[in-house]
Amino acid sequence: MTQNYFELFNLPEKFQIDLEMLQENYRAIQKEIHPDRFATSSENEKVQSMIKSTQANDGYQTLKSPIKRAKYILSLHKSVEKITLPPDFLMQQMEWEEHFETIEKNSSELIEFKSTINKKYEEYFLLISTQIDHDQNWSDAAISIDKLYFIEKLLHKINNALS
Amino acid sequence: MALLQISEPGKSTMPHEHRRVIGIDLGTTNSLVASVISGSPTILNPNDNSNLLPSIVHYTKESVLVGNDAKNLLSKDPKNTISSAKRLIGKTISDINQDHFSLNLADGDGVINIKTSIGMKNPIEVSAEILKTLKSVAEKNLGGELMGAVVTVPAYFDDAQRQATKDACELAGLNVLRLINEPTAAAVAYGLDKKSMGHFVVFDLGGGTFDVSILNLSKGLFEVLATHGDANLGGDDFDQAIVNFLNDKYQFKVKDIEVQALVSILAREIKESLSTKNEVVIEEKISDIEIKETFTQEQFKTLVQDLIEQTLKATKSALSDAQLNNDQIDGIIMVGGSTRMPCIQEAVKNLFKKELLNDLNPDEVVALGAATQANILAGNGEEDLLLLDVTPLSLGIETMGSIVERIIPRNTTLPVAMAQEFTTYKDGQTAMIIHVVQGERELVDDCRSLAKFTLKKIPPMVAGAAKIKVTFQVDTDGLLSVSAEETTTNAKASIEVKPSYGLSEDKIKTMLQSSFDLAEEDKNSRMLAETKIEAIQLIELTQKALDTDNDLLSESEFNSIKKDLSALIDSIKSSNNDKIKEANKKLNAQSESFAAKRMDRSIQKALTGKSINKLEF
Repeated sequence: MTQNYFELFNLPEKFQIDLEMLQENYRAIQKEIHPDRFATSSENEKVQSMIKSTQANDGYQTLKSPIKRAKYILSLHKSVEKITLPPDFLMQQMEWEEHFETIEKNSSELIEFKSTINKKYEEYFLLISTQIDHDQNWSDAAISIDKLYFIEKLLHKINNALS
Repeated sequence: MALLQISEPGKSTMPHEHRRVIGIDLGTTNSLVASVISGSPTILNPNDNSNLLPSIVHYTKESVLVGNDAKNLLSKDPKNTISSAKRLIGKTISDINQDHFSLNLADGDGVINIKTSIGMKNPIEVSAEILKTLKSVAEKNLGGELMGAVVTVPAYFDDAQRQATKDACELAGLNVLRLINEPTAAAVAYGLDKKSMGHFVVFDLGGGTFDVSILNLSKGLFEVLATHGDANLGGDDFDQAIVNFLNDKYQFKVKDIEVQALVSILAREIKESLSTKNEVVIEEKISDIEIKETFTQEQFKTLVQDLIEQTLKATKSALSDAQLNNDQIDGIIMVGGSTRMPCIQEAVKNLFKKELLNDLNPDEVVALGAATQANILAGNGEEDLLLLDVTPLSLGIETMGSIVERIIPRNTTLPVAMAQEFTTYKDGQTAMIIHVVQGERELVDDCRSLAKFTLKKIPPMVAGAAKIKVTFQVDTDGLLSVSAEETTTNAKASIEVKPSYGLSEDKIKTMLQSSFDLAEEDKNSRMLAETKIEAIQLIELTQKALDTDNDLLSESEFNSIKKDLSALIDSIKSSNNDKIKEANKKLNAQSESFAAKRMDRSIQKALTGKSINKLEF
């Protein structure tokens, strides 16, 4: 049976998903089909449980992360193309990077910067939900996803500088 | 259907019957074996006075001694007495500092060789001797042959070290149900014992290895969120700090193996005394040098400060990987004999500002957890528990400029399969070297090299046109296999490798054969018995599957499986090993898609069952 990850976890094919339900269903599936449940079974069952359990892990990781989830939805609808980000975002990107370099570690300025970037993250997150779940505008969504990817990486760097 | 009544001790095929299984903690300093007896995990005594079997093997022409008997010869015959083999397993001579071993070491083919008076021994063989001893202890205690064992390894062991440990088990004649990580095993023992829930840190400092794991414990599921550690840091290094101090102060000959063995023993005694006392007075003579020394807790702490810092740094990294703060931790489980050191307890307590959980014996908790897990895997237990563990180290391959391209990042939940596409860089290129490495660093030279193989017969194309898909797969033992194929053409060049370190399959076979020393006849009857058991198991499982899920099959599919099933039953009566094997293989192949369908049904059941529950509550 070929099924996509949304079908596997019994979830609607949407960007906005119930993460608790995802985790609950993931755990229920692993409890049923993990190779540890088949440690004394036939070779066939061992192999099948290994395959399914691997799929469940990959599916869970894919749907758990907003960026991976969004990309996955796109991959179900259109072929992946190379995306070029618009120049104004590239400019913005450089500005942020430069600003980040000038801020001291663990400073209040950095905390402030983090909240600015966090807001941007939320902004793009909502934009992507509209583009995917409402407009089904895959091309625009692809660009937003790339932007969100950059923002997520920047947030990661900020968090590292904060701890 | 009448089944043949062939029952082998320990390998009962009846699902409700108790299977004899054990958990083994193969430690650097001491090893233990445990089993679940009347519902509770119990250490099986290797000797009268202690639950611990010293992980020491002594070789002479006449005999192989293991445990205390070998330990007694440590200072008398150090060259033939091998301790801490775990620090050498899965490594090559260039990976280690020979000064830290009072042994004669040499480069072997993919392994380290230890020169003894009866010839070369490698760490896999040494470990196998320890495992054999534990196996016979278990068989004596449990009254029969074992069905299998769960064997623990440090969470931070790399692929080569895991594979080598598994090889040692095979050499010892143990059926490995699963390799599990030591801190995870400890969490099982604690979690089930105390019915704990929430986020737990397992801080595991053993004789030669250090692991720290962060787990989320919930009812029926223990999820490892992150693991970190150092496979070369343990109590031995704390001894070594004292050894270095004594060598410096008293100018002992560093190259003299006999003298150094005595200094090491003294250092360990000092360390162990300081676990219960604030100071210890030494008056001893080693090779005509008088030692007079008052060792205080503070002095010891200064000597080992760097080592303590290393453990704390790893703990912080694991927390950060798990995306948790100190105050989100519900409990800290202390494991390993080395966590008895007051300076370690103090440091960990200060980091979390919380009391430590150490009411289960830190030496025994890993073996107890392993026994519980073995019981669950064998289907004996009432416990409903699933462990989800992770890869400790990132896995990747070498790309241009000796840079590592990561394929599976560390802390990925197992089992996992991930693929990456690569391409050729020269026109007409027909082969590609694939170098598999493990580690967190950017450069290949800073990572552990696991395997190097060549994918051949790539159809000649312009540079960049070929698509080489490299797939990494890590199973629930944490063991890696790699395959590569060119995907643009139908001419599939594909290769499957196991990492190249350690012993080759052939070498293990030869060693196995020579170690059993069985007469040809015995060997054959043993083989036939094993084949029969395997066949009977398959018959029962297939019969059960047909009973419950026959609606998944078309009539012709059902009949085909039925036919091969009868053929297998008939073949058993023949007592012809090859014939049974052949029939077994045929039935397996015939029911492959049936197994897949049944697995899908399980998933459906898992989810629908739950939503019904939800409606009810």
